[in-house]
Amino acid sequence: MDSGRQQSRTYLGVPLFRPRVGFFELSSCEGCQLQLLNNEATLLDFLSLVEVVNFREAMKERSEDYEIAFVEGSVTREDEIERLRKIRENAGILVAFGSCACFGGVNQLKNRFSLDWVKNEVYGNSPIKTDFVRPLEAVVKVDLKIFGCPVKKEEVEKIITHIALGQEVVHHKYPVCMECKANENVCLFDIGEPCLGPVTRGGCDSWCPTNRAGCWGCRGPAEDANLEQMEKIMKENGFSPDTILDRIECFGGFSVYAEKLRKDLGDSR
Amino acid sequence: MIFKVFAKEELRSFFDTLASSNKVVGPVGIGKDRHGDTLFAFEDVDRFGDLRLDYTTTRLPAKRFFLPFRESMASFSLEKGDWKKDISYNIDRPHIFFGLHPCDINALNKLDKVLLGSAYPMPYYAVKRKNMFIIGIDCTPQPYCFCRSMGSDTALHGFDMFLTDLGDRYFVEILSDSAYNLLKNIRTSDPVEGDHVHYMKVVSEKTRKFVTRVDTTDLTKILDMEFQSDVWKQWGDRCLGCGTCANVCPTCYCYNVDESVDISLQRATKDKMLYSCTVIDFAQVAGGHNFRPERHSRLKYRYYHKHRGFVEAYEESLCVGCGRCGESCLAGITVPEVIASVRGEEV
Amino acid sequence: MENRLAFNDVVDPKHHRKNDLGFFEYTYKAEITSIHRLTGMENLYRIQIVNPEDRKSFTFQPGQFLMLELPGIGEAPFSISSSPSRHGDVELCIRKAGNLTNFLARVPRGAKVGIRGPFGTSFPMEKMYGQNLFLIAGGLGLAPLRSAISYVQENRSHFNNVDIIYGTKEPSQLLFTYQYDLWTADDITLSITVDKPDPSWKGEVGLITGILERIFSERDDSFFKNTYAIVCGPPVMFKFVCNMLTQKDIPMEKMFVSLERRMHCGMGKCCRCNVGSTYTCLKGPVFDYWTVMNLKEAI
Repeated sequence: MDSGRQQSRTYLGVPLFRPRVGFFELSSCEGCQLQLLNNEATLLDFLSLVEVVNFREAMKERSEDYEIAFVEGSVTREDEIERLRKIRENAGILVAFGSCACFGGVNQLKNRFSLDWVKNEVYGNSPIKTDFVRPLEAVVKVDLKIFGCPVKKEEVEKIITHIALGQEVVHHKYPVCMECKANENVCLFDIGEPCLGPVTRGGCDSWCPTNRAGCWGCRGPAEDANLEQMEKIMKENGFSPDTILDRIECFGGFSVYAEKLRKDLGDSR
Repeated sequence: MIFKVFAKEELRSFFDTLASSNKVVGPVGIGKDRHGDTLFAFEDVDRFGDLRLDYTTTRLPAKRFFLPFRESMASFSLEKGDWKKDISYNIDRPHIFFGLHPCDINALNKLDKVLLGSAYPMPYYAVKRKNMFIIGIDCTPQPYCFCRSMGSDTALHGFDMFLTDLGDRYFVEILSDSAYNLLKNIRTSDPVEGDHVHYMKVVSEKTRKFVTRVDTTDLTKILDMEFQSDVWKQWGDRCLGCGTCANVCPTCYCYNVDESVDISLQRATKDKMLYSCTVIDFAQVAGGHNFRPERHSRLKYRYYHKHRGFVEAYEESLCVGCGRCGESCLAGITVPEVIASVRGEEV
Repeated sequence: MENRLAFNDVVDPKHHRKNDLGFFEYTYKAEITSIHRLTGMENLYRIQIVNPEDRKSFTFQPGQFLMLELPGIGEAPFSISSSPSRHGDVELCIRKAGNLTNFLARVPRGAKVGIRGPFGTSFPMEKMYGQNLFLIAGGLGLAPLRSAISYVQENRSHFNNVDIIYGTKEPSQLLFTYQYDLWTADDITLSITVDKPDPSWKGEVGLITGILERIFSERDDSFFKNTYAIVCGPPVMFKFVCNMLTQKDIPMEKMFVSLERRMHCGMGKCCRCNVGSTYTCLKGPVFDYWTVMNLKEAI
């Protein structure tokens, strides 16, 4: 990271970066940003690693002089495209922060329906500007993705520490099952619950399955995810194609596969 | 070997004696599956009534107590460019294992070979293993059990005492001095000829109940010969690469190490996580090259390690035939079927 | 009666030699005493164990590796590139390839690192006494080979004819260029080749196998009867080279190669380095070629 300014602290003799960072949101619930603020215990450490210059949810001052931009939310309006492009121009590193930014998130569910119907259903007669939902990388170049709905604060802290140390951020490649087994959970299929754990990228510490809720795939596919087999398994366990589709398309991470599945289903109907 | 018999109701007072001053781990029910069958797990047990000595197979082995899924190997404190490394083996007291089946005892014996019996014994395992007091108990073969094929249906060593249910009595084999002494807390007697006959009858009844078999004849050679076989690709197409088979396996010990710097930058940790050879980056090196990029090559490696490499090194396989991997595999990949297919048998 | 089982504390931290439980995670603290830039991608680090007694007792053989740890950043295996006569004062030739090595490239001289080891098998140098030697390296393969070269230099009279054959893709990737004169001064024949020459390159062009062909044509068949070879480089390279050597009837058991795999422990526990079902850390990294031929997944 060339643009990062060095701070006086070092780690093993290596000077640390203390980047100026901004937090921004497009169409989203702002829950990912809230995760960060929830971190009273480590907030001071966090702030010593980065200089926050823009964080609407937490501070009044605004600056457009930042090196890293964390952008939450998906792109659903024309003006958001403009804002995002501006942020991209300002930032050396643009981080897609959370599943909406990475994949479109829950927002992208509306892409299944006609825009007029959606507008009418949600806003009635009030006029509203809204378009198809897109992830950030459909509009600008994204340098780093932080997955999750919401993001996991421990993971974000780890990533921030990596950035301060100048280390590359590497995501877990394995699926949620690895962490679910490490947490010694009963497999949800054993108790008759559908779960996308076998194909979803780990790193959440099997947050939902540990609480006996099947995975909905918010972190997108694990590397080398075997979706064909997953579909068979869901069927063998008695779950309808619609149950599978509901899960696969919920957060947008599996969009390519979801589209294929939807088409197959449509064809067979 | 010393044998004793004691009346069944004595077991409760034996448990109470042990549990009053020690930590006891045993099989308990943790709910029902969707077919209404009880799910079992090894947990800390305080009351004899919670123990389910009639358990079938726990979903997960008792690994947490001797090969934890996640464990800190070391921590560092950093100051002024220098550092100090602190190592902890993460155990401070003995554990009593009340009711391990022969397969799980044999699993420990196999782990001992690689984790204790080499030029580099592993202290994280050694300290926990040397602090296990094991009470084995006989079992009823389930449809998925193929321990007999793997020579793991009986345990010859690796426990302190072993119980066999003779109806109104337990027949107990005593292997350790501490077991012998602890048994003085209850009323036992020397077995008579009738007990021996009864024991042998129970054993032969158990043997007849096995329905699943694996042919291991010449398996090391066959695995070599069929290294390029298409059957691996067929199993690879089904494999989810989720790592569950290794995580539920009582003998899988492969691991990953992850070091991380605390956000305060004053501490760092080195953590070990049990890893699975079917996971995509198992054999990936720095720079990105992956020696096993395909699912079938990773699944094949798993069989290769267990049924060839370990046999070559220790003249026995690294599989006890407990059937957990097959029972937990959502894609229905089971050891008996994979091996039969590699042998060219109809599955 | 005492029914409480006593805790069995089997690890004595005072004992941390091989075979002791305390050895497993025992880390020597070491200092980076010099950093020498070899190319744009590789640095040579000189690393000295801080405790003088430990430094003296840390002995290794050419071809062995150690685990280098940067606390909190990671740990990885590296072949030792320096002479075994220097004990716990080693040189590591390290390419920037991943998380650990990229960080290491930014660590200054004087930084404290951890090392564990040494681990693995070595080139059987004493077996090769009185014999001709082919020391062949492609690319970063010179890193482990350099330890053997130092050994040969220091024990030159024990070896007969010695050839070093070294190739890289481009001239800018050549490692240890400042030492070539020292090697040839010790009556070692050095042949260097590159795949893609730049305009200033005056040496040989082509693959290592091309150099071997030239050398083969210059030697009598009897020469190869008393010849050993050490071949370090990517599998595709040592496969071709060893096959060529086989044509000269050099037994595969007299050729040695070094394999590279992922490792976390170095002691046959984590299983990440397995080739087929063989631990690279225990049975390797140095294997004779006959063994490698019999390993699944090796080449």
